[in-house]
Amino acid sequence: MDIARRNNVAVTGNPQGRTVVLAHGFGCDQNMWRLTLPALAEDYRLVLFDYVGCGRSDTTAFSAERYATLEGYARDVVEVSEALDLRDAVFVGHSVSAMIGVLAAAMAPERIGAHVMIAPSPHYLDDDDYRGGFSADDIDELLASLESNYLGWSAAMAPVIMGNADRPELGEELTDSFCATDPDMARVFARTTFLSDSRKDLRSVTVPTLVLECTQDVIAPREVGAFVHAAIPGSRLVTLDATGHCPHLSAPDATNTAILNFLAALS
Amino acid sequence: MMCRTGQQQEPHEADEAESSRGAFAALLEDSAEELYENAPCGYLSTLMDGTIAKINATLLGWLGLDREAVVGRMRFTDLLTVGGRLYHETHFAPMLQMQGEISGIALEIKQSGGGRIPVLVSSSVKHGSTGEPLLIRTTVFDARQRRAYEEELLRGRKAAEEARRQSEADRARLQDALAVLQQSLLPDILPVLPGVETAASYHTASPDRLGGDFYDVFPLDGKRFGFFLGDVCGKGPQAAAVTSLTRYTLRTAALHDPDPVTALTTLNKVLHERYAAGSGDPRYCTVVFGTLEPDPDTGQVAVRIASGGHPPAIVTRADGTADFLPTPGGLLVGVLPSAQFTAATTTLAPGDTLLLYTDGITEARTGPDRTSLYGDQALLSFASDHAGKPASALIEALTALLQRFGDGLDDDTALLALGAPTAGHRTRSSR
Amino acid sequence: MSPLKITTGYAATGPVLKVLGELDYDNAPELSELVPTIPLRPGQCLVLDLGGMVFCDSSGLSALIAAHRHTQAARADIALAAVPAHTLRILRIVGLDQIFPIHPDTASATAP
Repeated sequence: MDIARRNNVAVTGNPQGRTVVLAHGFGCDQNMWRLTLPALAEDYRLVLFDYVGCGRSDTTAFSAERYATLEGYARDVVEVSEALDLRDAVFVGHSVSAMIGVLAAAMAPERIGAHVMIAPSPHYLDDDDYRGGFSADDIDELLASLESNYLGWSAAMAPVIMGNADRPELGEELTDSFCATDPDMARVFARTTFLSDSRKDLRSVTVPTLVLECTQDVIAPREVGAFVHAAIPGSRLVTLDATGHCPHLSAPDATNTAILNFLAALS
Repeated sequence: MMCRTGQQQEPHEADEAESSRGAFAALLEDSAEELYENAPCGYLSTLMDGTIAKINATLLGWLGLDREAVVGRMRFTDLLTVGGRLYHETHFAPMLQMQGEISGIALEIKQSGGGRIPVLVSSSVKHGSTGEPLLIRTTVFDARQRRAYEEELLRGRKAAEEARRQSEADRARLQDALAVLQQSLLPDILPVLPGVETAASYHTASPDRLGGDFYDVFPLDGKRFGFFLGDVCGKGPQAAAVTSLTRYTLRTAALHDPDPVTALTTLNKVLHERYAAGSGDPRYCTVVFGTLEPDPDTGQVAVRIASGGHPPAIVTRADGTADFLPTPGGLLVGVLPSAQFTAATTTLAPGDTLLLYTDGITEARTGPDRTSLYGDQALLSFASDHAGKPASALIEALTALLQRFGDGLDDDTALLALGAPTAGHRTRSSR
Repeated sequence: MSPLKITTGYAATGPVLKVLGELDYDNAPELSELVPTIPLRPGQCLVLDLGGMVFCDSSGLSALIAAHRHTQAARADIALAAVPAHTLRILRIVGLDQIFPIHPDTASATAP
């Protein structure tokens, strides 16, 4: 199988630099890194990809069974790493992808030498002493909402997004990739993401790790950032003065600076 | 009169102009502020971090909230349901940040009473003079009617998908049943007969259609074997029922009395009584029935054969010749209450083969415009080209010929070859 | 495609049906349904003139047999006239030439 084609793999940046893998989260694809690329491209070799079922991946390779667990997505990461024969790469994962990176590193430790976790969450549900940000009812409502398709993955949304053709500089690939995501595959990813519990897996992380959190993030509140930081011995926690769940888009400068500082300290 | 009319019209026109001026003035008095507050859609402006800086009365009314509770205190995402908030964070906000605007996104807002209103949301970013983003302007349209309609469509689609799944399952079940029934019409494999080489082939013109052709080979007693090949008139399940009745009648009749004329007479009686007598649905078939008696000492096979309205069998000889084996006088089976059949005999020497076929092959349309029929003389000539070869080789060659006919082959075709093996060619059977 | 057309006439010997077009799976039932409606007295002969028939398959043969059955029940006779060569060959193969009197044309079939 052609993994590069299956996961729409793109390699850019400095071929001599250390490899940095940029992994998008739920609801996004590799386009989400476009404000990160310019800052890293000079010194680092950058690997971008789309998980199967997202962006411009080969959707015929999708299997609801394989991607019913985060391990299935982690196998995408391992297979991409093997295809490029990556060693000791820095894995930058946004949101649920940070956890996918942890699972991938457990499967193939030689491939990943450091983690950058942007707004990570190992568990979205509140339970006992843990505050994930969502109640069981919230998650049920969310999944029910996703099932009922009301959130706009319906065909009704496609023409709306495509209607923004007056901004061609944003590129067709952006609107395409959002529209192209198959609603059924997006629902699988959503279910897998929001029902996941990777809290125990964090303890397996022994490589240098940077945790980036936002001051205001409704999906991954600060308690979650603190939990991840505490669970990974030796990790660094940086709180960005940013709102929302995508600081690499809403506060790209601060995010890039934090990543570059961490990368510089690695060498 | 003319003048008066003209004069009378003047005050009337003045009235109209007056009232239209009044309406226009009222419109002007509807200030921009008034329009903003009471527009038929919701407006809000937020800081870049989502904090609500301005909101109109229409949207406050939908939410059931006071302005003081919202402005400076709530973020846009606080107005949304959990699902909507999630969609906002993972899709809406990133796209707005990258594109500067986004429109027509379906979300739900929460009302203070616990209700929800489906809405369509559009946002755009207002930039300052140096291009820095200042605030986000958002319009919110009530989409209750539209959403109800969409849900109706969605329900309809789900029902259609369910119906399609159901019908596919039904179809699969029927095809399984059909496959089992078809197996009852034809032998799975031909039995191995000592001293006789057997080969057969069945070519179905349409995979969904139950075949109307049939054949069988089976042992009769210690030294003889029965065989038959035929064609039921008509198509579909009714024809298949006749095929089944015919096959089991012939096998049973032959066990009772292997004489070909007796077997066909019995079949004629059974079919006529079952279908023709009294019923308004007469059914017939054409069939060749025969017996084989191999002689282990000489390697020869004695053939006794009778035909009911079926095209004559072909015998290919080891010396490279081929000829029809005439079975005159046989009538379509099942037509008359009593029918006459006459027997023919031949002997197959080693290397000779008896070929039975149905008219699918001779009626195949050939030629560039598919208007000529292949015909029995062409078949005879083809068979003589393959005379002297084993039965299996003859069937293979004929199967390839059928393939070449392509869509010129309208009807099912059954082929059965029974050969006396040459010394070097041991007894075997293939299908 | 030439669909089936059947015209009804009468001769001194009885009714004469002219069959024009194709007597196949789709059309043959027309003949089977028409024959029982034709008045036929005992001793008369129903003549089927097949001169205009361009195609006849096993369903067509079934229709001819049904007509034969009907005339037998009415204690009348049946005859075929102007049978096309290809159909004649099939009639011989299936032995139906033994139960249908076959005439070169309607004139000879209706000769007293």
